[in-house]
Amino acid sequence: MNGNHPVLQYFSPDLFCASIQATAKRDVLRELVAVASAAGGVRGPELLLEMLERRESLGSTGIGKGVAIPHGRSLAVIRMRVVFAIARKGLDFDAVDGKPVKLFFLIVAPPQDKKNEYLPLLGRIAELVQEKKARDRLLKVETYEQLQAVMEDVLGGE
Amino acid sequence: MENDALKDKLDALFRLQDLDIMIRELKDPPTKGTEEKMGFSVAHLEKLQLARTRLAERIPALDLRLYERISRHFTHAIVSVENRICLGCFMGLPTSAVSLRTEPGMVRLCENCGRILYWLDY
Repeated sequence: MNGNHPVLQYFSPDLFCASIQATAKRDVLRELVAVASAAGGVRGPELLLEMLERRESLGSTGIGKGVAIPHGRSLAVIRMRVVFAIARKGLDFDAVDGKPVKLFFLIVAPPQDKKNEYLPLLGRIAELVQEKKARDRLLKVETYEQLQAVMEDVLGGE
Repeated sequence: MENDALKDKLDALFRLQDLDIMIRELKDPPTKGTEEKMGFSVAHLEKLQLARTRLAERIPALDLRLYERISRHFTHAIVSVENRICLGCFMGLPTSAVSLRTEPGMVRLCENCGRILYWLDY
């Protein structure tokens, strides 16, 4: 179900949001946290939201080119998870380049990370969205299966 | 009502630990460097320090001292409990500890490692 690439173990159909409803930054974070929570990966959604907002206060995780990767560790998180979501029309997320954000990857992890997976995962996703071709393909995704296929393809045979 | 008070107390400690983890990681040169290389801004660490100070002021002194004492020994002073296992030392908790977890006002410690235990399923 989750595909063969190791990165895909952190994704799942219930962590996929084909169209974000929120239009404001805080509401987007709330919606992403709600998706993670409904999927069973989070036990304290308000605490997780607070941690993510504090992280945003340091500087937006909107890294430009229409992509944001809100992320952080919290005791509210049971297991590392990635929520993938698309804002079809794009929305203001205070991104570093000032452009609207359409692609969101919410990466959350518990404090303990014995296998040291969190930073490498964050880095791999930040790296793959630098490629225009990958971003364009991700923007066209409408189902989890399509996301899985695109991710398998762009991540390649690692 | 009493359980709500305990939950509030634990939630405050929990927020403090989340903040401490973030501050510690972003002060760590390799982690900070990696985040910046990825394109993330980590420019305003002083905001987190200020938030930490304000949050700590709202925590009862005894609880704060306990948290800070345990933090000197462990990276994570608060750990969650899953299936009666302390996720700090991975030892099983006795049934008595589980049944006492909601005793009014009491913060529970792991009998084996001494970390603060956090059940999120109140």
